[in-house]
Amino acid sequence: MTAQEVRLCGLLLQEHFGEVVERIGTHLLRGGAQNLRTIANETNTPLDLVKKSLCVLVQHGACEFGSGRRGPGSPVEYRANCERVLRVLRYPRYIYTAKTLYGDTGELIVEEVLQRGHMTMSNTVKTVADRLTHNMEEGRSMEYSEVVSAFSKLVETHFLQRCPPVAEMGTAASSTTPSNPDCYKLPHVTLIGRGKRRRSSDDSEEQRGGKKAKMEVESCGDEGIYWQVNFERFHQHFRDQAVISAVASKLDQTSSEIVRTMLRMSEVTTTQTAAYTQPLSANEIFRSLPPNYSISRPILDQYLSLLVDDPVGADLDSPPHIPTLNLQRALANLARATLESVVQERFGSRSARIFRLLLRKRHLEQKQVEDFAMIPAKEAKDMLYTLLSENLVQLQEIPKTPDHAPSRTFYLYTVNQLPTARLLLQHCYKTVANLIERRLFETKENKRLLEKSQRIEAILASLQASGAEPEQLTEVEEMITAPERQQLEALRHHINKLDSTENQVDETVFLLESYIFSTKTK
Amino acid sequence: MADVKKVKKESTDPVDIENRIKALCQQFPHGITDQVIQNDMPNLEAQQRAMAINRLLSLGQLDLLRNSSGLLYRMKDAQTASKMKGSDNQEKLVYQVIEDAGNKGIWSRDIRYKSNLPLTEINKILKNLESKKLIKAVKSVAASKKVYMLYNLQPDRSVTGGAWYSDQDFESEFVEVLNQQCFKFLQSKAEVARDSKQNPMVQRNSSFATSHEVWKCICELGISKVDLSMEDIETILNTLIYDGKVEMTIIAAKEGTVGSVDGQMKLYRGVNPIIQPTGLVKTPCGLCPVFDDCHEGGEISPSNCVYMAEWLNF
Repeated sequence: MTAQEVRLCGLLLQEHFGEVVERIGTHLLRGGAQNLRTIANETNTPLDLVKKSLCVLVQHGACEFGSGRRGPGSPVEYRANCERVLRVLRYPRYIYTAKTLYGDTGELIVEEVLQRGHMTMSNTVKTVADRLTHNMEEGRSMEYSEVVSAFSKLVETHFLQRCPPVAEMGTAASSTTPSNPDCYKLPHVTLIGRGKRRRSSDDSEEQRGGKKAKMEVESCGDEGIYWQVNFERFHQHFRDQAVISAVASKLDQTSSEIVRTMLRMSEVTTTQTAAYTQPLSANEIFRSLPPNYSISRPILDQYLSLLVDDPVGADLDSPPHIPTLNLQRALANLARATLESVVQERFGSRSARIFRLLLRKRHLEQKQVEDFAMIPAKEAKDMLYTLLSENLVQLQEIPKTPDHAPSRTFYLYTVNQLPTARLLLQHCYKTVANLIERRLFETKENKRLLEKSQRIEAILASLQASGAEPEQLTEVEEMITAPERQQLEALRHHINKLDSTENQVDETVFLLESYIFSTKTK
Repeated sequence: MADVKKVKKESTDPVDIENRIKALCQQFPHGITDQVIQNDMPNLEAQQRAMAINRLLSLGQLDLLRNSSGLLYRMKDAQTASKMKGSDNQEKLVYQVIEDAGNKGIWSRDIRYKSNLPLTEINKILKNLESKKLIKAVKSVAASKKVYMLYNLQPDRSVTGGAWYSDQDFESEFVEVLNQQCFKFLQSKAEVARDSKQNPMVQRNSSFATSHEVWKCICELGISKVDLSMEDIETILNTLIYDGKVEMTIIAAKEGTVGSVDGQMKLYRGVNPIIQPTGLVKTPCGLCPVFDDCHEGGEISPSNCVYMAEWLNF
């Protein structure tokens, strides 16, 4: 847990859950496992607030509890999970993916589960149906069964999973999800009904209906079975997408389709950390290709052999006719391309040339760098020293004599991919934190203006609802002057830009994180 | 009787010995050893032989060399012998040292070490030799010092830097132009191959170009005033690989096919980058020169960052 990560987690917690949770969360992240009393004393918060924030954190999976250090009898200790908090940054990407795969229904289901942390199936279905009905036209409403079918599709493809059962005090911690055999089993619940439209004028009816609805919920039958989003599965999907787009830009569309087919076939069978996909026979691939790509069998074989021969991005290994994808190498190549792109944009294409040269040739002397890269000696020296000061390039000394006399030592430049990737990852975290802070700053600066515009909008809405004259409406609108309107526009533009950039940086974070993670499990 | 003996002994007088030795040298142009002279004139005393050889050496008609088994005497070239007529021993020594350095030339400091002469002497001799047009000074690009070599020799590539240097300056624009030309050629070849829409194997093979083809194309374009060899073109293509624009494979080729070197051929092919510029560089923070100094509440912070303000207003 580096300082940058803690800072970013703090900002995310504050935005999504509020100040109190942020205080408790950062304290846990910095201090490791602590028990309730310690947290309350050190953060000077009343005990019940601490309890509530811990509940929130546990609900979202950001905090775990377990028996204390001194054995089963000591007070419970709570531990915060930094990675889980950083996932919050990626929520928009998860929701968007669900939308592209399963439509609006899927999108809303994932959104609801992400917002609540853990939810039962019946709850989710009802809420989503209500929301969908709300957006539909008058007189139509959403069938529960449609929502249920979308939910079951999500579970089948492992995007949603059951929460692991809570361990009793004194027993071992709950087993990890993959070994939980019922992880992806849908409960036997029959949900019949339609979404209810919420109307502002039917408040009194709602209250009566609300009591009835509560009674219905209790009889649903899936109490205690909570569902959460399976982040690993989403990450697998993102990784597959990255590999497919790399192949598409390197070779051509058809090759990327073949790779996509191979990945899809091994989706459910490959574990997260596998370096290779399951071996598939060329016949299976041929049969599973989408129908509009009608290529004949010999051409498929040619494409496969092309993918094998491809030197960069070459992630296909092929013992005779059993193609497997080497995912670890693919991730390493993607991470390398990321590093090179950062050096290129930041320092120029010549420095990028030197960087790539060092990546390929591992260790080089200064003279050799100049010769290979065909850059004049003075400029090459300058660029190398800049890269060295930014820690992107390291210097290795090889002494010729036992006294390391500088005139009799070889100095070799080298690039280590893994430590450089870690360095860039920390930079990314700092960048995202900076962007969030800037966004908060901009909002705070223009708070007065925002409040005014909100007030005006409320007045307008109420006037419209009560059927006012057009002149009154224009009068109200003119309360916002033109320069203020411009300022509001600019503010909106800024905040959108900052938001979308956070997502873009998050893509880089994802690539680097998966690469680092794949090198850990060896 | 003793007189006759003495006369008989002295009939092998020095001039005869020298002539005899010279004749032997001409017989064996690679050089003769002491052993050979002794075999030829077995009744010659070692002292007389040594005297004769010394005389010939000082006259500059014999060269003294050493090989693994002993000393060798070789006939000196008549022309060079005449050249050095006016010079004295020291100059001859220096001249020999420079001659030995051959193509690469030699520093004045190294001449000093090899001949053990003081610096002032060396300088005088070098000036002398230069005025006699026997040696010349060439500025080396590697060591940025003057090296001396014989007048009629072409300086070696490592001294002048080869095709990329003209008058000690690295020709960056020339390299850049060549770089772009090669890349365009390879890229157009790849495009043609892609548009041909044949089956993928053929497509890929036709998008490859051998280094020989590229070399021919560049020569035909005629952008270079200097003659470029295939190795030069390969170094340019290597820089394109390091730019990430081109990839290379090596295939085995039959000896004798055009452009093959040691039974291998290098093939080059233009490629696209595998990812777009990554997300981090789309933010001002990714390119910020003062990234490490930026803290909330400090002089440089996200809230008052000038780069961000500019970027947001873009």
